[in-house]
Amino acid sequence: MSRDDAVGGAGILALRLLLVGGVLVLWEALPRSGLVEDDLVPPFTDVVRTLWELLGRSQFRGDLATTALEIIAAFAIAAPLGALFGMVIAESPYLSRIFDPLLFFLFGIPKSIFLPLFILSLGIGFWQKVAFGCFSTGLLVLLSTQAAVRSVKPDHLLVAHSYGATRRQIMSRVYLPSMLPILLEALRLAVIFTFTAVTLAEMYASRTGIGHNIETWGENFMMKPLLAGVLLLSLTAILVNEAIRWVERRCGAWRT
Amino acid sequence: MADVTAAVRSPPRPVEAAADRPGSIRVDHLSHTYPARDGPVPALVDIDFAAAAGRFVVLVGPSGCGKSSLLMMMAGLRHADSGAILCGGRPITGPDPLRVGVVFQEANLFPWLTALDNVAFPLALRRVKPAERRRRAADMLRLVGLDGFASRHPHELSGGMRQRVAIARGLVQDPPVLLMDEPFGALDEQTRMMMGDELLRIWSQTRKTVVFVTHSLGEAVYLADEILVMSPRPGRIVDRIAVDLPRPRTYEMMAQPEFSRLRDRIWGHIRGDHAI
Repeated sequence: MSRDDAVGGAGILALRLLLVGGVLVLWEALPRSGLVEDDLVPPFTDVVRTLWELLGRSQFRGDLATTALEIIAAFAIAAPLGALFGMVIAESPYLSRIFDPLLFFLFGIPKSIFLPLFILSLGIGFWQKVAFGCFSTGLLVLLSTQAAVRSVKPDHLLVAHSYGATRRQIMSRVYLPSMLPILLEALRLAVIFTFTAVTLAEMYASRTGIGHNIETWGENFMMKPLLAGVLLLSLTAILVNEAIRWVERRCGAWRT
Repeated sequence: MADVTAAVRSPPRPVEAAADRPGSIRVDHLSHTYPARDGPVPALVDIDFAAAAGRFVVLVGPSGCGKSSLLMMMAGLRHADSGAILCGGRPITGPDPLRVGVVFQEANLFPWLTALDNVAFPLALRRVKPAERRRRAADMLRLVGLDGFASRHPHELSGGMRQRVAIARGLVQDPPVLLMDEPFGALDEQTRMMMGDELLRIWSQTRKTVVFVTHSLGEAVYLADEILVMSPRPGRIVDRIAVDLPRPRTYEMMAQPEFSRLRDRIWGHIRGDHAI
């Protein structure tokens, strides 16, 4: 990286912070000055205070835990299953020919339209959220795993063969490292997909969960907790996303 | 006195002895046919040659003549329908990295490993201890002139450097034979010339048997002790040329009449079979 880039990078970073800071200042100042109705947009600091109060309530923390568990369960089921089926299909030209077009058709359909079917068949409890999360995410993981398997270069396999690698060594020393960057990116997107699916299902029909809370606050025009919930979920999503991206960068530095 | 008795006692069987030396290669009446939609396609027909240990043999021929396939068979990566390949007197039936090292056209380094770890890869497969792996890989990097580049990743190296790493990887287990499949084919002309000199230097230091595939006539003459010229498909050996140019080879030799004469002789075969 040249010096110019570094200076430009610092300048860009300053502009970004300025932009975010500016939005927050406006968010605070406009309602306080009366230019914007503070019933409609409560000031930023009020929202932060509300968030703090909410986090102090055990019922709200319980809702957060429920949502987190639903997301984790859905991810823990969908990611390995998707990866397994993706591997098996990608490794078999026969299965690929049968399944590839079908999977692409399915992938193109918006998953949200199936939500009522999930409610009719599974109710509105914990496992319905998990099932819908899996349904929304599994296909993405499956297709990404296929892409990852197909990104393995035949020439690399040939090199490994020529040096007498066993099947297991080829798996661990060629397949896995070749696939890792694409897999990690897929997992990051899968987390986002699961997050979206679970909160959507909670907002649509549920008795618990942060999505349910947000829906209720919105219905009742309770702007402070509504914005507090949005703020919390946004920050959580950003943090999770960045954490995986950090791992991605560490594992995929060679992909340039 | 001792010399005389030794000479008397050891039976003079130079042919067998030469064929059993670790680096010797014998390709014995090898033929191969590919199945295809319109019926079987003969690819290699009765390939038969021997290379003594330490020789530099070049296979040259037009694209698609099967020279790369032949090399893959010698590496144990493909099987031929009939005939045999012997290395050090024993048949090659599968990859055998302790007898045969392979360098491919693209360097085919693993992009997620450093230069050092790429060179050490064959040792890691055989569970050589990490410290010894590093030491031997570092020795090989020094041999190919890449001291100080051990921790670079392939994308940080030039095409020529990547190919040097690939050569180091081919040599790290000290196999008596090095097979090279158009290793400089993807390099620019100048790098290619320099890599030719580098390879000859490495070869003269290690004295491996080298079988080198190329479609460059000049490269063939410049490098080889012996050139095997192959015909277009189905590939068969149409000429065997001993190159008697002195070593070390130099750039100036390429202007000598002998050099041109040998190059013209190869071209005659390739053009003759390739009537436009």
